[in-house]
Amino acid sequence: MNSSAICEEWLSSLPPMQGYLKKEQSIGRQSLFEHGMPSNKDEAWRLCNFNRLNSFLSLPIVINNKNVSSKLKYIPEKDKDRERIIIDPNGNPAKNIIPTNGIEQLNDREIEENLGKIVKSTNVKNDLSVSLNQASSSELLALKVKSNMKESLEIVIPSIEGNSISTRIFLLIEEGAKLDLLQVFLGNTNSTQNHLIEIKVESNVELTHGLISLGEEKKSSSICTLAVQQSANSKYSLNSIHHGWDYARFEPRIIQKEGDASTNIKGLQVTKSKEQIATHSQIRFEGPNGKLDQLQKAVASEYSHSIFNGSIEVPQKAQKTEAAQLSRNLLLSKRAKIDTKPELEIVADDVRCTHGATVSQLQDEELFYLLSRGIDNKHANSLLLQGYYDEVVSDFPQSAWKWNFIEKLIKDINK
Amino acid sequence: MTQTNTVEEIVSQPYKYGFITDIETEKIPKGLNADVIRLISAKKNEPEFLLKFRLRAYEQWLKMNEPDWSGLTYSKVDYQDLVYYAAPKQDVKKKSLDEVDPKLLETFDKLGIPLSEQKRLTNVAVDAVFDSVSIATTYKEKLAEYGVIFCSISEAISEYPHLIEKYMGTVVPINDNFFAALNSAVFSDGSFVYIPKGVECPMELSSYFRINSGDTGQFERTLIIAEESSSVSYLEGCTAPMFDTNTLHAAVVELVALDNASIKYSTVQNWYAGNEEGVGGIYNFVTKRGECRGKKSKISWSQVETGSAITWKYPSCVLQGDNSIGEFYSIALTNNHQKADTGTKMIHIGKNTKSKIVSKGISAGKSKNSYRGLVSISSNAEGSRNYSQCDSMLIGDKASANTYPYIQSKQPQSNIEHEASTCRISEDQLFYLQSRGIDFEESVSMLISGFCTDVFNELPMEFASEADKLLALKLEGSVG
Amino acid sequence: MISSTSETILLIQDLHASVEDQQILHGVNLIVKEGEIHAIMGRNGSGKSTLSKVIAGHPSYNVLSGSIQFKGTNILELAPEERARIGIFLGFQYPVEIPGVSNLEFLRVATNARRKELLKSELDTFEFEDLVKERLKIVEMDPAFLERSVNEGFSGGEKKRNEILQMALLEPAISILDETDSGLDIDALRIVASGINKLSKPNSATILITHYQRLLNEITPDFVHIMADGQIIKTGNKDLAVELEKSGYDFIDKNTEDKEIAK
Repeated sequence: MNSSAICEEWLSSLPPMQGYLKKEQSIGRQSLFEHGMPSNKDEAWRLCNFNRLNSFLSLPIVINNKNVSSKLKYIPEKDKDRERIIIDPNGNPAKNIIPTNGIEQLNDREIEENLGKIVKSTNVKNDLSVSLNQASSSELLALKVKSNMKESLEIVIPSIEGNSISTRIFLLIEEGAKLDLLQVFLGNTNSTQNHLIEIKVESNVELTHGLISLGEEKKSSSICTLAVQQSANSKYSLNSIHHGWDYARFEPRIIQKEGDASTNIKGLQVTKSKEQIATHSQIRFEGPNGKLDQLQKAVASEYSHSIFNGSIEVPQKAQKTEAAQLSRNLLLSKRAKIDTKPELEIVADDVRCTHGATVSQLQDEELFYLLSRGIDNKHANSLLLQGYYDEVVSDFPQSAWKWNFIEKLIKDINK
Repeated sequence: MTQTNTVEEIVSQPYKYGFITDIETEKIPKGLNADVIRLISAKKNEPEFLLKFRLRAYEQWLKMNEPDWSGLTYSKVDYQDLVYYAAPKQDVKKKSLDEVDPKLLETFDKLGIPLSEQKRLTNVAVDAVFDSVSIATTYKEKLAEYGVIFCSISEAISEYPHLIEKYMGTVVPINDNFFAALNSAVFSDGSFVYIPKGVECPMELSSYFRINSGDTGQFERTLIIAEESSSVSYLEGCTAPMFDTNTLHAAVVELVALDNASIKYSTVQNWYAGNEEGVGGIYNFVTKRGECRGKKSKISWSQVETGSAITWKYPSCVLQGDNSIGEFYSIALTNNHQKADTGTKMIHIGKNTKSKIVSKGISAGKSKNSYRGLVSISSNAEGSRNYSQCDSMLIGDKASANTYPYIQSKQPQSNIEHEASTCRISEDQLFYLQSRGIDFEESVSMLISGFCTDVFNELPMEFASEADKLLALKLEGSVG
Repeated sequence: MISSTSETILLIQDLHASVEDQQILHGVNLIVKEGEIHAIMGRNGSGKSTLSKVIAGHPSYNVLSGSIQFKGTNILELAPEERARIGIFLGFQYPVEIPGVSNLEFLRVATNARRKELLKSELDTFEFEDLVKERLKIVEMDPAFLERSVNEGFSGGEKKRNEILQMALLEPAISILDETDSGLDIDALRIVASGINKLSKPNSATILITHYQRLLNEITPDFVHIMADGQIIKTGNKDLAVELEKSGYDFIDKNTEDKEIAK
């Protein structure tokens, strides 16, 4: 079956449009109906493994979850000082929130006013990742984080074996708030998950966002679109790790609405066997004096394929922007592949923008140095990998360690 | 800011080569079909294999779509409204320069490329191409002593058909892209260079392309073959009169370097860029590619691109031979409504192949200046390395500078490094120069030259100063 | 060297100036005559460097009121390069690095611009090389620096020597040397100071802007001015610098207090 037929069949298999995401469902379905699935002619998708992408359409979508007896994977204990939300298919996600001082659910009016606006303003043409989500999401987690929020927040999204899930999240971080957010995506055998997260960061907000995305079983795939809008004087730091997915696509899109904000991104993706992980980041400055510091690291081993596409847009109104982007890649096997494309688009003259990209291997001299001190090859390699990961990993909050991803990142690569 | 405005004024200079030579021209009727191709081929007394080559290319072209991938919009060319062959009326090619129409010699004099024996450049052999045909080639005899062949491609087709048949279309296949296919079908003239084994070409070789007719497409074809252990440095220059319509220039350049051979190919491109409102100017859609077929061979592209309304150009190196080297040094200056989308492809196939990319883009006015490049390291290219540096300078807040480097590696024992930065002319630097008595205009020009110096250093001696002058010319003007 | 008939080179009257909308100079008065060496001292932020930038015509600085005359003509309307050509030289505290621009070429273009103003013939590459090699001796500089880009990768001391080399080539009527001594070790300071001494002529003048006495041990000033809050608050001879060294800048504060009390 060709991809457009798959797409049409999938669309017709979806339940009727209903609920408060009805409007969004209609937008997503319409777009898919018009554009179908992308092909390698589409610049943003040209390196995509389309067979794996099609699995998002072939697995049954979990809509009404009552009948699904989900076997959730083991989830470590929650931290005392961190509020936890598990988006579990057995219930409306909003229901498992224990209301605390700093968090409230958005009311209908606020949802109506905000939902979909940020992702729409990213102006991505034929936005498949988003359309897939819009077409199939039936629940929404919409929260307001107030300035008196004291605790940190953890959102865990496990996949369900043999099924496909779509989750939609909207976070409004109110003026002056400070939040430490940790998100965890967990894969499962033969499953897909698609996330659409919108975060509105108001002025004087400091948001630290950790994202641990681990596909742990066979044939697990994930697509995540993260659209963030920053107001002036806000600070947004995103630390992400993607590992273990057969297919994963991460699309962080950040808009500095008024400039004058600071964005820090550190990402790591580690691939093995025949996995394909792609990060497509888009950062746009819509006002002056914005700052960006972005580091994307990738390690590709065995037969895997690691992709990074990073666009930075600095239009005329964004004078005095300072943006730096660096893509550093380790290619560890002759059968693996790395593609990286940092992009700069600038129409303002008084800016300081740089980007850089490197593709290399673990340094022989460093390895030799360790070996010459009596450390065996495997151990030496794991030390070097650890060193390589450290730049990204060390910025995660303490409570991230319980997810044990670092050991996994080293063990999986250094077999 | 007033200072920015004046910098912009400095980079906006009237085009100095916009004159038209009034000369009787033989043109074939407008339009393109198989018969037109047969007519061109017949006019040039071409052998059968070449006519077949052209017709095959035409068949392919008909099946292809005009590209729109680069995000650049332009008013599409009406291919049936173009003249595919135009030549100044004179009998084929003259044996001696004395017989060439003095008007033509005068034209090239005016362009700073004197051809006559008394005035010609001392260490440079020149092939002068006017519209569709080569007018004259200087120093042919001297070059022949070394076994170097330097002539128009038409002459090469009749004199050395075996070389043409062996190499033409092997680097840029006829169906490589829309414009290469078109060129393969209708190319008119261009230059041919053959450097025999072990010969170091005794002088610089240079082709000078002049578009004179407004409705003529220029489709030149250049082929350079460097046999084992030979070397050559070649330069092309280009200008055109000012027309308010867009003239299409779709050239194909193929380079072949065998074992230990080295080819240095330099371009100073100053086609008419259109007026301040972006009306008119040349569409410069060219395909340039070199193959380092031999071990330790080297191909080095350097280019100074200042003209054309739109430039799409990616001089590339296919590094097949082990230990071969590819280089790309580029300066692209755009102003007003010019659009330049240029860069290179470095395809590493052989082991221990090395490539280096240095690109300097300067954008002023409302122009759009993009670097687009590909570095690809295949799984067999062990020990390969690439270093790329792409710097942009922006003048004024309406110009745009984009960088799109595609990087792809399948070989763990290889290294790729890419760096890009954006800057503008710093006020501190300007003030420092001015405070030493150097006027504003010269200070700007010095800073721009300084920005480009890494590339100037790569141009052949004879042309480095010419290129600097060309930038200076674009920068010349009164301080506002 | 000073005589009452000496011509006035620089006359600054009630100069008020600002940068980025912040007023820094609040009425500076200064007369500099041929053959004189002036030292301007003061704390960071007192306006010393601003004064030098304003005299040289830096576009970021705005003159709000007052005047600057050079040999009797108002220079406020002149572009920086015009001021340089008529003989005003600013030795930068932080000489600017200009990658890609050859130091030799830069020096030659600058020298010729000045020579043209003086109605002297312009020097070609060879003539200039002879001249520059001779002047290099004044600052004991390695000719290798000529081949490099302007100030690029130069150490602090090398940059300052390059400044004095420019002064030697441009033969200005007045040299304003902004913190030329900062960041120099003893040897470099001695070389730079001896260069400045060698270049003083009866028909030229020098203004040294400095923090410390140590440069003034090498070059004896005829006048020492102390700046505070954008004004010259005290003028004296070389002993003033010695006094300042001894009692520190506190005595300025005392001085200003006195002034305020007097008001």
